[in-house]
Amino acid sequence: MTNPLILNVIHRPEMLPEYAETVTAQGGGAAQPSGALARESLEIFRLQQEIAHKNGIKTTIQMTYASLFSDEAVALAKQHHETYGDEIALTLLGLPCKQFREKYKTKDFCIWMFSKADKAAIVEDVFEKFFECFGFYPESTGSYYMDAWLINHIKAKYPGVKCAVATCFEEGPKAYHTCNNSWYTLLDGGPWAPWIPSKQNTHAPAANEEEDCGLVAIPHLSRDLIACFDGNGSNFGTHPQNVLRGMIYQDGQYPYLFNIIDQYRHLAVYNRGFCYNMMFVGPGWMNKLGRWEAPYELLVKSYEDGMAYYGALKKKGELADMTMGEFADHYRKTHHYSQPECALWRDILYGSEKQHFWYCDPYMRITIDMNQGGAVIDLRPYAAKLETEVGIGTKYVQDASYPFLIQANYRAGYFTHYAGEGTIKSCKISYGGEETDLCLCRTKAHFSDEGEVRVLTLDPVEIELAGLTASVQTEYRFREDSGAVEVRRRVLSTSVPGAKLKFCEYMTACYGTTEYPEDMKDVVLSVASQNAQKSIGYAYRCREESLDCAVSASALVPQIETRVSMECLGANRGFVREGYAFSPMFTLGMEAEIGEKETLTTWLRLEKAN
Amino acid sequence: MAQAGKGKLNYRCPSCFVRDIDIDMFYDAQKEEYYCIRCCYHGSEADVLEKNRLARFRYRDILRRIERFEV
Repeated sequence: MTNPLILNVIHRPEMLPEYAETVTAQGGGAAQPSGALARESLEIFRLQQEIAHKNGIKTTIQMTYASLFSDEAVALAKQHHETYGDEIALTLLGLPCKQFREKYKTKDFCIWMFSKADKAAIVEDVFEKFFECFGFYPESTGSYYMDAWLINHIKAKYPGVKCAVATCFEEGPKAYHTCNNSWYTLLDGGPWAPWIPSKQNTHAPAANEEEDCGLVAIPHLSRDLIACFDGNGSNFGTHPQNVLRGMIYQDGQYPYLFNIIDQYRHLAVYNRGFCYNMMFVGPGWMNKLGRWEAPYELLVKSYEDGMAYYGALKKKGELADMTMGEFADHYRKTHHYSQPECALWRDILYGSEKQHFWYCDPYMRITIDMNQGGAVIDLRPYAAKLETEVGIGTKYVQDASYPFLIQANYRAGYFTHYAGEGTIKSCKISYGGEETDLCLCRTKAHFSDEGEVRVLTLDPVEIELAGLTASVQTEYRFREDSGAVEVRRRVLSTSVPGAKLKFCEYMTACYGTTEYPEDMKDVVLSVASQNAQKSIGYAYRCREESLDCAVSASALVPQIETRVSMECLGANRGFVREGYAFSPMFTLGMEAEIGEKETLTTWLRLEKAN
Repeated sequence: MAQAGKGKLNYRCPSCFVRDIDIDMFYDAQKEEYYCIRCCYHGSEADVLEKNRLARFRYRDILRRIERFEV
């Protein structure tokens, strides 16, 4: 089997589905007695299992706390484990039930939002109840998000746990907004593919054994890496009913679902043969009342079609279905800590041929947009390994997102409304009194693997300035375990012999997790040459400092314990620029004059600073 | 007039959908129309379905099966 798509299919028996309370509570004659709801929910679970097994796919059954009180659900899990090899695991979703509410006296249901004391008590309750039912502890668990404190606690108490659903990719302010500002999964900034979380922060992959939290994490669903960047993640993933939610179907057809699956298969090209899918559909998505505009029949058909596609791939030897526990073992055998995850993702929905390149390692998650000349449009400094606690009693009750330095949609990017700057990393080129920005040069990219270095090579772009035409090519080089990205801007040719163009490699950044600004006070900007250094303590005063022959321009952002720097060999000038209240950003820049066949090389470096 | 209910399916407001907001509409049986409690959209089931069709304008590849992922 060459580069099989590795698949985790997860089902959870819910006795009181998430959808049920709102649907029944809001009238419309849909109210059902709880016994009937539990029956329907278990039947949906049974149907999902049947569809998977019919297609030769084994599953991971994630028992909910509520289902552990159902003899029928427990018996079903045991039977399917014995007959089909399904793993019996334990989810921390699906907590609400009579027993839970009587004990905890709350309607909260998201494990990461509870106080530490409640998290510990709930974990003990559900794990011990699981043991009581099955006679062993689970190897796998999960929720929409598992914070680092929670994972560390589970590993300390139940060391046999080795796999967890630990985040929903890019489910943050966009999901909150889409849900009429009522769905508090603020979880942006994590990996899109499996990873080993660090003990310090779940989103940030471990750099070594010391940081290893002991689990292999998988994301909740495999999502479209372009559509999710500017849209609700819950419309664009390997969840057939999510595709229906996005209205991405016509005449009962939804080729988009299969395009997502196939593009994930294609990611093997960038990851030394590794490619992965996860499908996890809660029973509420296949309920008899229909969901969104889709009737029950279409909800079920979409699940059957999705699973049939996986089954067909398996029959062709192009897919390997695993339980979560099996996958954790496989992942640890095939990956090392510094191994990056790469994805050169193309638009498969809007017809634009736009490409994003995503790169994730223990130091950073970075997104590059080829539609903006290869500008960096998202940057998460994992190097800081922020030990951010979440839940009641901490500073962040709900917000579990890993902070960004750059997020071109939340903080404007290249285009602003006629004042100030937005977060972006790009390059300005000037000649003869005219200037342009590579953000305005749409291009495409190609990937290559040089062993220790992954390379993203962009197609050359043409620029016209003051009667001169030049061809410029960008190359990104990601060296494993370096915490730095090398950026090469090369002038391939110019129409004016001997002409020198001024290149300004720059990065405009701030910090945050949402669309709204944070206080930039305490940020320190510094520019350094071999024998001098100048600094600015951020005070919203529009100041700039520069040095000739600078070797680095950097920002210390203590709020996120991060130092970000741009380094350069051969710069004529380096600068740092403070923002102002209407533009709460900072800019780091390196300038050089280069001509035909010459290259400006800079390094973007991320470090922990506390 | 009796209070509104949910209708036979939980239709979302098509006007809000195109601005990335999922909000269920309620059904006014007397006027035989769905209406949004957030924005001013209201319309019959046929109008909702028509607007939902229009909302798909951005999905140019909605029916395209893609086989090559390198561009």
